[in-house]
Amino acid sequence: MVTKVLNWINYRLPIVNTFERHLSKHPVPKKVNFWYLFGALASIVLILQIVTGIWLMMPYSNTEEGAFASIEYIMRDVDYGWIIRYMHTTGASMFFAIVYLHMFRGLLYGSYKKPKELVWIFGMTIYLVMMAEGFLGYVLPYGQMSYWGAQVIISLFGAIPYIGESLEVWVRGDYYISGITISRFFALHVVALPLILIALVFLHLVALHEVGAGNPEGVDIEEFIDEDGVPLDSVPFFPYKVLSAMPAIGVFGLVFCIIMFFFPEGGGYFLELANFEEANPLVTPEHIAPVWYYAPYYTMLRAIPDPLGGLIVMAAAVAILFVVPWLDRSNVASIRYKGILSKIAIVLFVVSFITLGYLGTVTVTETGKIMSVICTVMYFSFFLLMPIYTSIEKTYEVPERL
Amino acid sequence: MIKTFLVISFVSLFFSPSLNSAEGGPCKDYGPCDQFKPDLNNMASLQRGVGTFMKYCYSCHSLKYSRWGRVANDLQIPEDIFFEYLVPDKDAGPYDLMVAPIHELAIDNAPPDLTLVARKRTSSWVYTYLRAFYDDTSTAYGSNNLVYPGVNMPNILAQIQGSQKLGCKDVPVLAKNGGEKRDEFGKTITKEKCGYLKHQDGSGLLNVEEFDEFIYDLTNFLTYVGEPSRAERERMGVYAIIFFIIFTFLSALLYREYQKDYH
Repeated sequence: MVTKVLNWINYRLPIVNTFERHLSKHPVPKKVNFWYLFGALASIVLILQIVTGIWLMMPYSNTEEGAFASIEYIMRDVDYGWIIRYMHTTGASMFFAIVYLHMFRGLLYGSYKKPKELVWIFGMTIYLVMMAEGFLGYVLPYGQMSYWGAQVIISLFGAIPYIGESLEVWVRGDYYISGITISRFFALHVVALPLILIALVFLHLVALHEVGAGNPEGVDIEEFIDEDGVPLDSVPFFPYKVLSAMPAIGVFGLVFCIIMFFFPEGGGYFLELANFEEANPLVTPEHIAPVWYYAPYYTMLRAIPDPLGGLIVMAAAVAILFVVPWLDRSNVASIRYKGILSKIAIVLFVVSFITLGYLGTVTVTETGKIMSVICTVMYFSFFLLMPIYTSIEKTYEVPERL
Repeated sequence: MIKTFLVISFVSLFFSPSLNSAEGGPCKDYGPCDQFKPDLNNMASLQRGVGTFMKYCYSCHSLKYSRWGRVANDLQIPEDIFFEYLVPDKDAGPYDLMVAPIHELAIDNAPPDLTLVARKRTSSWVYTYLRAFYDDTSTAYGSNNLVYPGVNMPNILAQIQGSQKLGCKDVPVLAKNGGEKRDEFGKTITKEKCGYLKHQDGSGLLNVEEFDEFIYDLTNFLTYVGEPSRAERERMGVYAIIFFIIFTFLSALLYREYQKDYH
């Protein structure tokens, strides 16, 4: 009976073939390391964010008077509302943590090398949309940090010459942040950007399945195939890859639950303490800091004294990631077979990125200012010097098989 | 080699003193806040805390996100007793919000709502603040606060705590590297520093330890009301963690078994 129904559908809609091609029988490299698990984890968190988001939407009030109180209503009066909200807030931070690790994997093992340029670009676009999504979501509780964070970010548009001021008004929908701003941010956060995000994730996966997943050796597994055209160094996605992801999901769930149940505020990094006070346009918080996942870019913005210059540097810091496939001139993909220059470069890059992140969460000091300029220069050098150091260094020979 | 380098750079980053010097902590002139460890399963403490709040704070401060019935229920106080002895508004029902009468009038600069004070400022801050009032004749209320200098609030608990005055004491002189300075005999060099709280013994209804406990209960209650589901959250968390430990263990075993197929 089930087979009959399945055949009837499959004749009209290729669900079985699609399922086999993209999931159950999809060939994946047999030897990868833990860096290759973050893609799967990211998709789990995406689903979690969508599901918890739908539930949060029901009791949330997208008005100036009601927004903050409705969050407390969720935390107190809605049955298990607190667990849904903490899942969503912890999920947001975890999503970024995973995506940062996933992106770093890409840099380590050259996951952007031909023919995977589009996979990388779709991924970067996902990251860009996520940053917008995270920002919009952070405004919705309408606490002090929501309000003043939004003030800082929206005023960035004001730094653009000629159209800046009218652009600011257009984004806010008002002359100052008000209920109109909240309700449009709400619409973008729950409908527009999630739709774009899902479409991009779909494209990211289709493009990936077309060119095949990479591996830490940078070996092209398509070169040795059996008589059915299946790469010899691959295993089917089900059950092998699903099973290898399971312990990772377990560890991730463990970390997630430790944060969610015991440190939902993440020491003020996941939920900022100032946001436990309703937005007050008349009182500026002592210290406006972004959530940790924007901190590196915020430091770059602060490192440049001129607002327009800061905006350009900040935008360039994200934009430059898109062109990495064309900056890397190396003949090998993986860091394992690259030369010493690439290895030094990536270490300096990590150090600069983490330092920038740290500096973005603390108040500005003289030393901090100098450090942030140095680290901004280090960050950009990693990318801008990449064509040089990847082409002059001596690389090692890549094995043929995994 | 790269890993060693990474570790060294991390460590040096977080130990560089110039980056970590946080001036002016949240407890301001008091110095570092006194650490507060809430005990949300201690019903007696929470019950005493809500009593204190209703008696001394509620005439000016609301808990406008919290409802009467929830507090009575969570604190295991029978509703009839709760409403008879603790709720001043006789028309209030269990589903009403705890809005103080003062907040039903529209006054500018009304005293702040305290539902989330322990979350916004931390419990340790609340605990320290409530014990840091001192006599100061230069202010309108005749009192001031080390944690919140110039606070626009009278020392409402003065009768209970008694009088505190600012005094001086000898403190060790710190060297540039953060250590204590010593003279050639190895004795710590001290200097007189002022701005410390000195309690006048016997001037209040409670002695210092009793008053600390009194404030502990009040802060414990404010911590509870900031996040009423916290005790349940921590209880549930233990089960969630046990589940994921078992899940990880079993799935790792399964993974190992299947991995033999292709290794």
